[in-house]
Amino acid sequence: MSGGGGRVGGRGSGSPAPQDERVSRRWFLERMAWVSSAAAAGTLFARAPAIAGPRGPAVTPEAFGADIRIQEAGDLTRLTMSESMTLIRSGALAPEDLVEAYAERIEAFDGTLRAYADRPSRETLMARLAGTPADERVAPLRGMCLAPKDNLYTADLLTEGGSLVFEGFQPDYDATAVSLMRAAGGLIVGKAQMGNLAGGRARVYGTTTPTTRNAWTPDDVRYSPAGSSSGTGTAVAARLAVAGLGTQTGGSVIGPSNAQGLTAIKPTFGRISLHGIIPLSYTRDHVGVMARDAMDAAILLQVCAQPDANDPRTLGLPRPPNYALAATPYGGDRPRVRWSTRVGVWPGYLDGDNERVNQLRRDFLAELERNPAVRIVPEVTLPDDWETLTSPPLGGSHGDPTAFFIEHLREDVRNFADRLPRFLNGMLQSADTFVKVQQARNLLRHRMLTQLFNQCDVVVTSAGGAFDGAGLPLACMPIGFDTDETTGARVPRGATLGAPPFGEERLLAVVAAYQAVTDFHRERAPDPAA
Amino acid sequence: MYPRPQTPPDPTDEELNTYIRTRYRLLGIDISVLPESDEDAPMDQERLLENGRSILRQDVEAANFHIDPQFNLPIAFPAPFVAWTEEEGS
Repeated sequence: MSGGGGRVGGRGSGSPAPQDERVSRRWFLERMAWVSSAAAAGTLFARAPAIAGPRGPAVTPEAFGADIRIQEAGDLTRLTMSESMTLIRSGALAPEDLVEAYAERIEAFDGTLRAYADRPSRETLMARLAGTPADERVAPLRGMCLAPKDNLYTADLLTEGGSLVFEGFQPDYDATAVSLMRAAGGLIVGKAQMGNLAGGRARVYGTTTPTTRNAWTPDDVRYSPAGSSSGTGTAVAARLAVAGLGTQTGGSVIGPSNAQGLTAIKPTFGRISLHGIIPLSYTRDHVGVMARDAMDAAILLQVCAQPDANDPRTLGLPRPPNYALAATPYGGDRPRVRWSTRVGVWPGYLDGDNERVNQLRRDFLAELERNPAVRIVPEVTLPDDWETLTSPPLGGSHGDPTAFFIEHLREDVRNFADRLPRFLNGMLQSADTFVKVQQARNLLRHRMLTQLFNQCDVVVTSAGGAFDGAGLPLACMPIGFDTDETTGARVPRGATLGAPPFGEERLLAVVAAYQAVTDFHRERAPDPAA
Repeated sequence: MYPRPQTPPDPTDEELNTYIRTRYRLLGIDISVLPESDEDAPMDQERLLENGRSILRQDVEAANFHIDPQFNLPIAFPAPFVAWTEEEGS
């Protein structure tokens, strides 16, 4: 059982306790220690043992339970994934019409927005759709148009990683996460542009010239879509895809999601396979789902969160729970978080430089506090040595990428452009520092569980990077709009929540309860003028 | 009498630059193709060396941070047992 004694979650809701309470924290710490030591020894990617862990449920009935907003049905791309799936299952919507609607938008607007680096023809999409089983138990994502980041291998589309290093690279197999989406009936409508080798916003390869635009400023490239999962963020926000996948080693899913009004989950380390993804770090890389609301994030997480014999980091985890149930509004006319939850507030969270954002954050916390299942814990105390353990060198991962890229570095360092130092650092970092970094990361992880999550069940945070290093889950959602001072554009602002290991259910429950009483996630970005 | 060890002086930027260039050359990596100094270029040698010096100097900070060497010893991967038994922790 949980090592977090005295926790209030799980009582009185009628639902089983969420997974973050059921999993052993000691087990998680020991497991992560193994991952770090195996990475240092270079043994992590030895041939995986031929076992399959317990699979999670297929997409569950809750995913098809959307209340359809009829005003959205005039433009099919405004529907959420859950709404589209519900309409298709009922026979009210032909998946061909949905795919045609997305294909038309992509052809009309991607020349301006530049969300995609490569994409299939409309004919290819329709042919794939025609070959998809009509049974939603076999292919629940039939007709769903999805945008994986361009560092996930695709056997039929280029995978260039936003970089000259991989220009023209054509894998001969799909990343596990891509194959899971396809097996569930999803269509890959494009490979989403990304920052150079998973850093920064998407740019013309090898240059500092930006490409992908923020969906909320479609006519002004200056306002960043954030990175490095820039294209996935833009595609989902601009309705060139209904949902997508990003990757995060240091904020690359949460950043662009918050910048573009999306709801995202960066799950616990190992929850989604990293097999078939251009690596940055054996111990910090994560796949995250980027969507328009909690339910859509839950659906895509459910599809992708499966054990994979090709990635030992995914094996032996607790069985994935019913994420769609967690994301289902609970409590009827007075929605409440499904489990009693203490929401901690990060020190300084309300004291940022932008007073308008501070006000949005106060409103956000006030709305959470109105929820009868939420107790706000103002200003949590950070674990000991927080700054030291979360700042370079101990809070970084300098050495990780070098080993993967040595041949590319010998070929021509210019191909790495602005990211070159990141990929050469490992040659300068000593082995004893690398070991110390791994040790410090374990210490940080331990203290986050024992000195932070002893105060709260989830935490509203402005320091997501620590969660990447510790392998802990994050979620984000839009909480309002602000005016960007450079462009004068109305742009979304988001909030980020962190949780202990396997806290995805609780994160989804909090986001779903908030979204049941707010409409920020329902707003859609404007179309480009041109 | 042997002389007492003294704390050696910090290496200069030039010494570190030589070390960095030598390290890359040893591994067969040619950074001379980058412009010496061009702030409009995506990367130049000056910025690369500055970053390298910073990384090397951070090693000292890492070395100075004490972590109990008995803390969180690496252990064998426990996950398969969890999978076989469907146990969610003990």
